[in-house]
Amino acid sequence: MSSAEVVLRVRDLKKHFPVHRGVLSRVVAHVQAVDGVSFEIRRGETLCLVGESGCGKSTVARSITRLEEPTAGSIELNGVDITALGSEALRAQRREMQMVFQDPYSSLNPRLSAGDIVGEPLTNFALAQGAELERRIAALFEHVGLRPEAVHKYPHEFSGGQRQRLGIARALAVNPSLIIADEPVSALDVSVQAQVLNLLIDLQEQFELAYLFVSHDLAVVEHIGHRVAVMYLGRIVELADNADLFGAPLHPYTEALLAAAPSLETGARRERIILQGDVPSPMNPPSGCRFHTRCPFALPECKQTDPPLLEVAPGHHVACLRRPVGGDGAPLTTA
Amino acid sequence: MTSTTSKAAAAPAALNDETILSVRDLRTHFYTRDGVVRAVDGVTFDLARGETLCIVGESGCGKSVTALSILGLIPPKAGKIVGGSIRFDGTELTTESESTMRRIRGNRISMIFQEPMTSLNPVLTVGEQISESLRIHQRLDRRAAWDRAIEMLALVRIADPKRRAGEYPHQLSGGMRQRVMIAMALACNPQVLVADEPTTALDVTIQAQILNLMLELKDRLGTAIILITHDLGVVAETAQRVIVMYAGRMVEEAPVAELLSHPKHPYTRGLIGSIPRRKPGAPRGRTRGRLQEISGLVPSLREAIPGCAFAPRCGFATARCTTEQPPFEAHGPRHYAACWEVARVEAKSLSEPVGSEA
Repeated sequence: MSSAEVVLRVRDLKKHFPVHRGVLSRVVAHVQAVDGVSFEIRRGETLCLVGESGCGKSTVARSITRLEEPTAGSIELNGVDITALGSEALRAQRREMQMVFQDPYSSLNPRLSAGDIVGEPLTNFALAQGAELERRIAALFEHVGLRPEAVHKYPHEFSGGQRQRLGIARALAVNPSLIIADEPVSALDVSVQAQVLNLLIDLQEQFELAYLFVSHDLAVVEHIGHRVAVMYLGRIVELADNADLFGAPLHPYTEALLAAAPSLETGARRERIILQGDVPSPMNPPSGCRFHTRCPFALPECKQTDPPLLEVAPGHHVACLRRPVGGDGAPLTTA
Repeated sequence: MTSTTSKAAAAPAALNDETILSVRDLRTHFYTRDGVVRAVDGVTFDLARGETLCIVGESGCGKSVTALSILGLIPPKAGKIVGGSIRFDGTELTTESESTMRRIRGNRISMIFQEPMTSLNPVLTVGEQISESLRIHQRLDRRAAWDRAIEMLALVRIADPKRRAGEYPHQLSGGMRQRVMIAMALACNPQVLVADEPTTALDVTIQAQILNLMLELKDRLGTAIILITHDLGVVAETAQRVIVMYAGRMVEEAPVAELLSHPKHPYTRGLIGSIPRRKPGAPRGRTRGRLQEISGLVPSLREAIPGCAFAPRCGFATARCTTEQPPFEAHGPRHYAACWEVARVEAKSLSEPVGSEA
């Protein structure tokens, strides 16, 4: 996989939202929603962004598509820097990256038929018309497992899972190289979730799609990801191959996240790290390592030193003072 | 107690002094412009004192309506309990007056909802909200109720409870609000706590905190819990006994380990199979492969379903399944299922798909 071409390269991405207060709406602070995030995704690869609410994972996704304007950093799509492209040039590049949203109910126009929804991007980019348009819409419906006669239906006539299929068909219409999926299955029941995950995997294999898959659900991430980036308060704290991240997590936050996820093993009120407290506000993140306020293994220097994301083992990046390059990865003990 | 169907006759679990809540053949219907929705269509179970029972199922299976029925919270114009009985500690709840229900609700049976922000009053401090129920139900004076409210906040491990008691819901995080809900629900020492998706809106690390807290308090206070969830992971970690619902009906009931390891109903099997997880013994992070799907859709509850509600999606279905409703009967110790084809289902390995199409 590592030899395949890079589809998306994100460098030091930052997105700060101003906070306005008072009658003059003065900017009194900034929410550092995303604060220096770098990664790349190759053709045919799924990179999962995982983390709890407010960690910035969705903002990363929205900044890459430039639905949010990034504050700093660069975004390269298939070798083209799109960070500063004007709207016309950006429009052309958007063909290469399509989004699938969490809520299939609110992301489909209720006044358009299913066929029109899926055909719209093809018309917009003047890729097809007439009989050719209809042929391509029919093919897309087949790819995502919708019946051909469903083209005449309206969004409200579909179930949640079918609407998500529709959203996927629309994303596929313009043959993108990258699909950015923001919590695409979290609104669905598990049996339907399974259908959509199977579909995403099939389509990836068929079209060599790259996925940026944003999710809070570790079981889903473990299932669909090739590589995983764990985010906490606007930063990536660990980035590794799926097997390494789930098999030998190095960052204490990743470990806690894995331990907190309920498993199907019964009687599992097992011994586990239960993190105390809540995620601090991204408006005023803790000094040093942002996780030190909740970290059971924090050392005094964790309060001062902001740990960089280092490649401590091949392909395994972690931002933790207690995880030096070439370290043994042994379980941490409280100091 | 009515016994209109075989289900009531096949009442699971022992009826004895240990039973605090006993539901028999509960039927709750909603009346819409498009017709009658049979949201709960014959639910029967017992809850023992201090027990944790999970009701699991997908959206629209009737699990939340079952909870609302027990609490007498079905909106009177939209729907009603049309049959069955709910006995709580010797009292029949379905025929009780609203004023009696008010005395029971929040006092002897309380409830926690999924979204704490919508169930907390935004213009009262959390301390006032907890003490309100204590003053009404336990007749405590203002001072004593406030002190007890602070005690409850400390019990649910809210740091600095004295200060927090004077704060409004919007000043608290999601996890803290859910702790406040738990404090409020447990303030009057209820015998039954009904928790409807109490952690669904929370992040996993907070979910772990809240579930642990609920179970710990249950052990300490002896409260019986009905936990309603769609998440089999939560079930595995909290339940003693599990009921699986589908289309308003119970399809299976068993102790939790038994249910997860030897599911007998094809729907339960499908539900378990559709969760992404590692094969036993496989290295972590390599779960990729096809997930089991349950093809098709949940049936409309507007039409009476003559046979098994799952039959149209079930690979084991025979002609009989579409015409005759399978009885909810024992297929092992404390293990009940509503399926005509349990023998054939059991003969297949767990990993085989249950869907009606390949």
